[in-house]
Amino acid sequence: MKGPIDRLADWLDDRLGHRAILHTLLDEKLPPGTAWAFTLGSVLLFALTVQIITGVTLGLFYAPTPDHAWDSVRYISTQVTGGAFLRGLHHWGSTVIVVAAILHLARVVLFGSYKKPREANWIVGLLLLQVILAFGLTGYLLPWDQRAYWATTVTISIAKLTPVAGDFLAALMRGGAEIGALTLTRWYAVHVLVLPALLVGLTIAHLYLMRRHHISGPVTPKAGTSESFFPHQAARDLTMAIIVGTLLAVLAWKVAPTLEAPADPTSSSYIPRPEWYFLGLFQLLKYFPGKLEVIGALVVPGAVMTLLALLPWLDRGPSRRWKDRPIVLSAFAGGLAAAVALTVMGALDKPASAVTDGQWSLQETGGALMIANDQRCARCHSETSSVAGPIVAGAIRKSDNWIASHIADPEVIAPGVRRPPQTNEQANKAMLAAITRLRLGPAPAVAEADATAITLVTRECLTCHTIDGAGGKGGPVLRNIASKYDLEKLQRRISDPTQFKADTEMPIFGDTLYTEEIEAIAKWLIKK
Amino acid sequence: MGGDRRSFLTRFVVAGGALIGAGLAGLVGLVAAPKKSRAGGAWRTAIQPGNTPSSFPYTAVLTERHEDGWYQTTRQTVVFIDQQGGELTAMSATCTHLGCHVRWEAGADHFKCPCHGGVYDRAGNVVSGPPPRPLEKIPVRRNPQTSAIEVEV
Repeated sequence: MKGPIDRLADWLDDRLGHRAILHTLLDEKLPPGTAWAFTLGSVLLFALTVQIITGVTLGLFYAPTPDHAWDSVRYISTQVTGGAFLRGLHHWGSTVIVVAAILHLARVVLFGSYKKPREANWIVGLLLLQVILAFGLTGYLLPWDQRAYWATTVTISIAKLTPVAGDFLAALMRGGAEIGALTLTRWYAVHVLVLPALLVGLTIAHLYLMRRHHISGPVTPKAGTSESFFPHQAARDLTMAIIVGTLLAVLAWKVAPTLEAPADPTSSSYIPRPEWYFLGLFQLLKYFPGKLEVIGALVVPGAVMTLLALLPWLDRGPSRRWKDRPIVLSAFAGGLAAAVALTVMGALDKPASAVTDGQWSLQETGGALMIANDQRCARCHSETSSVAGPIVAGAIRKSDNWIASHIADPEVIAPGVRRPPQTNEQANKAMLAAITRLRLGPAPAVAEADATAITLVTRECLTCHTIDGAGGKGGPVLRNIASKYDLEKLQRRISDPTQFKADTEMPIFGDTLYTEEIEAIAKWLIKK
Repeated sequence: MGGDRRSFLTRFVVAGGALIGAGLAGLVGLVAAPKKSRAGGAWRTAIQPGNTPSSFPYTAVLTERHEDGWYQTTRQTVVFIDQQGGELTAMSATCTHLGCHVRWEAGADHFKCPCHGGVYDRAGNVVSGPPPRPLEKIPVRRNPQTSAIEVEV
């Protein structure tokens, strides 16, 4: 007597015929000895599925416009529950896929699986590799941060090197005259519409051809009974998926993908570096200066891909055994070693970071205090203001040039339209320096007793004096003040410098600052 | 023996696959879950001190900075401020039928909704048409310090 579930399954099978489909999909007999080496394709299938699911979920939030892309990515990372983890999965997923794809390709070469009659599937596999790399390339423009913008600038410049069609290709990739809104929507559409369609189509073709010609199996056929795919190989595939999935989850959890400052086409200090899997190509370019650049950028990678594509016709012998294919295997091993070496060298050849880190300087601290306390900023930038939101460390998206104009003349929201009024240049410089640091993280806490002094010293003293290595050159460097002055004398020195030196150029600060302010400055200078 | 191994592996594959699927579905659900609506309102100025309107009910348009996910924008809220016999009242301009904005028609002495013809009297009670409820009352006060008229939205 059958239970209700079995009867329902029978009823459905009469109508759908799903058992025959499952039988076809799952019960293929595999050659004896098919084992762990043959799980890499399934690892790719698993990782690509994760990538599609996380990508669609990111798509619920992402806005592909230069004005909002960065904001929306930041929102995902900081505001959405589980958003940072999700973005981490998608980010590290691309790394897992590139590694798995290279290992899968290496397995196919080692086992000679591309040989007759599997040449067509080898080509489909290579096309899938191109699709995967194109996903990586288009994907990292999308956050629209500095890295995104400048890495894409480099990519498009490389495309320009293509003989004859270079300018056309670059224009096609840009969409507009410059990298901007039209580039972003174009790359977005390719990333989320074109490439997924190609990926799914080519993957189906890859699986179909695999089934048509069957798994190649061990290099030398083994004796023994053949197992069916389900559940034997499926269990190995699943084990690998669990291992890879755990690794991916740990990476996503522990190492959050970066979001740099928003793309700033006017920035001159940013040094772009590509994603690690393009570092080898990046390094290769360095060996081909000037007119030779096209060799490193296109000829060498093109030649490598062409050689790979022709492999089934270059290595025609029927034997798949290693000892019968010494040239192919050593050439492949050499090529792989060269690619790894270039990648490692590219990773080690790091330029000095343009991003400052470590201690906040006096100027930066002073600027941050002004931003936090100065009514000029706080008047509009507050929680309750209807004009502008509070200034939040890590959430500053305007370019340095914009901010410089805005600090000089806050009402200018279209910098360059009119000349800003005269303001204290040192204070503006300090606030700009602070903004640059605030892009990366919050300012350190300053003792209340020091806050007034630091603000005033930054605004008034640094115009002429250098303190802690920063400031003007007009007056002497201020250090070891306590060895020359006591508190009372220093206050008088600041209040009225002419008492000490009749022809001094130092302003009489007693005229412009309150006594308490001068006292605070003097105390702070002596304490230093 | 072979049968045991086969059924163990079958269960392993089915359970493991289901676990991975459930994990991914859980993550997607967590991330995609809609945001809760915003917390209670704050007192906002509807009429600046000294700007007493010449006639009531007065249509006040409040502009506030609004965070819409990653999108920073300003949002306008329309409220009616009325003063009869020295007593201040405030009402939302949102029709309780389908959310259009109703307008004060001075000649007819009623609020009318342009969408489906709902009509409310000066106190916000439904006179005719499809609206199911009176217009929503909003807390209103005269700020003791500034004497601005404020509403809680």
